[in-house]
Amino acid sequence: MSKLLWIPVAVVLLALPLYLDASWLKAGQYMMIGAVGAIGLTLLSGQAGQLSLAHGFFLLVGATSYSVLSGTDDDLVGLGLNPLLALIGAVAISALAGVAFAPVAGRVRGIYLGVASLALVFLGLYLGQAAGSLTGGTSTGRAPATFELFGFSFSNEGTLIVAGVPLRGTERLWYLFLILLALSYWLAKGAVGTRIGRSWRAVRDNEAAATAMGVDVRRTKAGVFAVSSAYAGLAGVMIVLWFDILKPDENEFGTYGINTSIAFLAMAIIGGLGSIPGAVAGAVVVYGLPQLLTLYSTDLGWFTGSVTPVLVSSFVYGAAIVLVVLFEPGGLAAIGRRIKELRS
Amino acid sequence: MRRLLFKAAAVALVLPLAACSTKGGAETNSTGVTDKEITLGVMADLSGPFKSLSTAITQGNELWAKDVNAAGGVCGRQIKLETVDHGYKADTAKTLYPQIEPKVLGFVQLTGSPVMAALGKNIEADKVTTTPASWSSELLNNPYAMIVGTTYDIEMIDGLSYLQEKGMLADGDSVGHIYVDGEYGANGLRGSKYYAEQHKLQLHDVKITSTDTDLTNVVTGLKGQGVKVILLTTTPKQTGSAAAANKALGLNVPILSNNPAFDPALLKSPAASALDKLYIVASTVPFSADIPKAKEIAQKYAAAGYKEPPNAGTPYGYAVGEVWGTVLKKACENKDLTRDGIHKAMQQTTSADTGDLVAALNFGTPGAPATRQVYVAQPDASAPGGTKYVQPLFEAEAAKAYKAPHEGQ
Repeated sequence: MSKLLWIPVAVVLLALPLYLDASWLKAGQYMMIGAVGAIGLTLLSGQAGQLSLAHGFFLLVGATSYSVLSGTDDDLVGLGLNPLLALIGAVAISALAGVAFAPVAGRVRGIYLGVASLALVFLGLYLGQAAGSLTGGTSTGRAPATFELFGFSFSNEGTLIVAGVPLRGTERLWYLFLILLALSYWLAKGAVGTRIGRSWRAVRDNEAAATAMGVDVRRTKAGVFAVSSAYAGLAGVMIVLWFDILKPDENEFGTYGINTSIAFLAMAIIGGLGSIPGAVAGAVVVYGLPQLLTLYSTDLGWFTGSVTPVLVSSFVYGAAIVLVVLFEPGGLAAIGRRIKELRS
Repeated sequence: MRRLLFKAAAVALVLPLAACSTKGGAETNSTGVTDKEITLGVMADLSGPFKSLSTAITQGNELWAKDVNAAGGVCGRQIKLETVDHGYKADTAKTLYPQIEPKVLGFVQLTGSPVMAALGKNIEADKVTTTPASWSSELLNNPYAMIVGTTYDIEMIDGLSYLQEKGMLADGDSVGHIYVDGEYGANGLRGSKYYAEQHKLQLHDVKITSTDTDLTNVVTGLKGQGVKVILLTTTPKQTGSAAAANKALGLNVPILSNNPAFDPALLKSPAASALDKLYIVASTVPFSADIPKAKEIAQKYAAAGYKEPPNAGTPYGYAVGEVWGTVLKKACENKDLTRDGIHKAMQQTTSADTGDLVAALNFGTPGAPATRQVYVAQPDASAPGGTKYVQPLFEAEAAKAYKAPHEGQ
C-alpha cells in the first residue's frame, strides 16, 4: 500500500471511537485481537512453513501470565507488577513457551507437526483447570488487573472528554489495541523484509538448501516459534483485557481451544499465507463477520429461527477457505495485489 | 495519475467523518423506563448448546409479560422484552451487551455461565439487576445477581439430608461424587463436601469434562471404593450413563442428582430402565407439575402456539417474571424506577411468591441464596413431565446452617 494512503486510514481508525457506539467498538477490538494473533501465525505457517494448531494454547499462556504478573488477588498467585511490565513479561513468557516447543518442530514436519502441536491445546485445557491458583479455576476465573499506562487507567475511571465524547473504558481500550496492533504490524513487516524473513522462507522452501546457504535451521525454527508465540501471547493479554476476565475453558471448545486455533489458521489462509496485511484482512473476515452480523441482525431483525448470525458466518468463512484453496491460493493478499496491478 | 487517485481516496475516506457529528455521551440512571413502557432485557441462547432450555425460559418470560400487560402492566406501564441471541458465545455476548444495555432497566434472563462470567464486571459497573439462568452460589458475589431458586450446593446438602433421613445413608459411609469441571460442578461439590464434613462421610470426588459420555469406568472405580450413594452434578447424558453403569455393574446404590442433571428425554433413552434409583433435587417445578399455577402455564403455553416441545424452562421463566413483577411493584411504591431503585427494591423483597413454581424467595441477605427449600423427585415415565415428587418442598437443618461462599461479605 502506498505510504500516503496510510494517513487517512490512521485518521479514520483514530476518529472511530468518537462516532461508533460501544458495541461496534467492542467488535472492532475483537478483530484487532484476531489480527495480532493471525500476524503471528502467518509468520510461522506462511513465512517459515511450520504448521501449528497450538495458537490457542499460547493465547492461554499469555493471558495467564498477564493475570498472574499483574494480579493482586489475596487467594491467588499474583505478583502485583505494573500492568505494562506484566504485558511485556507475558509476551516474553509466551515466547519462551514457543522456544520450548521448537525442538518438536525439528523432529516432525508438515501435517505431523500440526497434529503434535494440537497436543498443546489439550495440555492447556488440563493446566487451566489444574492450576487454579494461577488461572482462578474454571469455576470463577479471575479478573485481570486494569491496564494502566503511566498512571492513566484504561477503565471508566475519571473523565476525559474529546470533541464532546466522554472517553470511557471501551474507547480507551480501542486506542490501546490500535497501538498494539500497529506495533505488531510494523515489527512483522520489518522481520519479513530483512534477513530474518529471508531465513524463514529459506527454511520453508528447502531445509537442505537453507543449511547450504549458512542458515541454522534449528535456530531459525526456534526463533520463528518464539516470535509467533509472542504474538499469540500478546493476543492472549488483549483477550483478557477485552473480556475483563480470565476463565480457563471447561472443555476443548472454548476461548483457548481447538476452535480458536483453527480460526487463526483460517484467518492466515483466507488472508493469504505469509501476507501480513492479508492476516489482518483474514481476522476481519473470521472474527469480524459473526460480530458484525450479530449486531446488524438485532438492529434490523434479521435471522429469526434456526438461521443465526453465528451459523451464517461459519458458513461464510468455511466457504471462503474452500474458495481460496481452489481458486486463489494466495488469498485476499493475492486479490489485493491484482487490483493494484490493474490500476497501475 | 496514481497520486491523484490516492489523494482522492484519502479525501473521500476522511470527508464523511467530518461531515457528521460525533456521538453524544448522555448517561442517565432511568434507562429502560418511559411513561408508558418498562423495557427488560433477555440475553438468551437461542442457537447454541442450551437452545431448548433457553428458548423455553424465553417463552416463559414472554407468557408472563403478556399476562402482566393484559392486567394493565406494572406501575401504569407496559412491559416490553428486548431479546438478543448470543448462541452461548461469550465473545458475541460481550459485543451485544453494550448494544442492549442502554435500552433496558434489568435483565430477566442471562443464560450461560461463560457469558455471565464475561459480563459480571459490566453488570456491576452499570448496576443492572440481572437474573442469571445459572444457579451457582459463586455468582452471588455480584450484588446485582438475582438468582431465582436455590443454588447447586444447597441442592446437594438438602438431597443428602433427605437420603439420610430415609435410611439410605449413614454417618461414616463412603460416597462418590461425579462432577463436571466448571462453575456448575464445583458448586455442587462444595455442597457435598460441606455435608460430608458434618456427617463424617468419606467423599470420593471424580472430576470429568462436560464432553465425556461414558462413565462406566468412573462408576467401576467408585464401586471399588465401596460407595453407598453416587452424587451427580453432570449433564443429562452423563446421568444416563452413570445410572446404566450403576445397574449393569450390580452396584445398585441410590443416585442423587442436581436439577440440571436430569432431562425427561432420558426416559426415552436406553438408560430408562436404570433410572429407578435416581433422586433429583430441584427448587423449580417441572413443566407438568401438579400445581395450579403450573397447569395454568401449561395451558397458556399450548394456547400461545409455540412449536418447540415444552420443558421445565417455561414455568421457571414465568416464575422469574413473577419475581420481577414483585420487585417492580416494590420499586413503584418507592417511586424509584431507576436501576438503583430496582436494586433497592430487590433487597427489600423478602417473600416473593410465585404460586409455588419456586419456593418463597428472600433477596434480603446479600450473598445468600434466596431460598434453601427444594423438592425431591424421581423419574417416572407415566407421570406428566417425566418426574413424580417423593418429597414436597422442605429445607434440611444442615442447609440452614450452611454458609454460602459470599454470604455476609
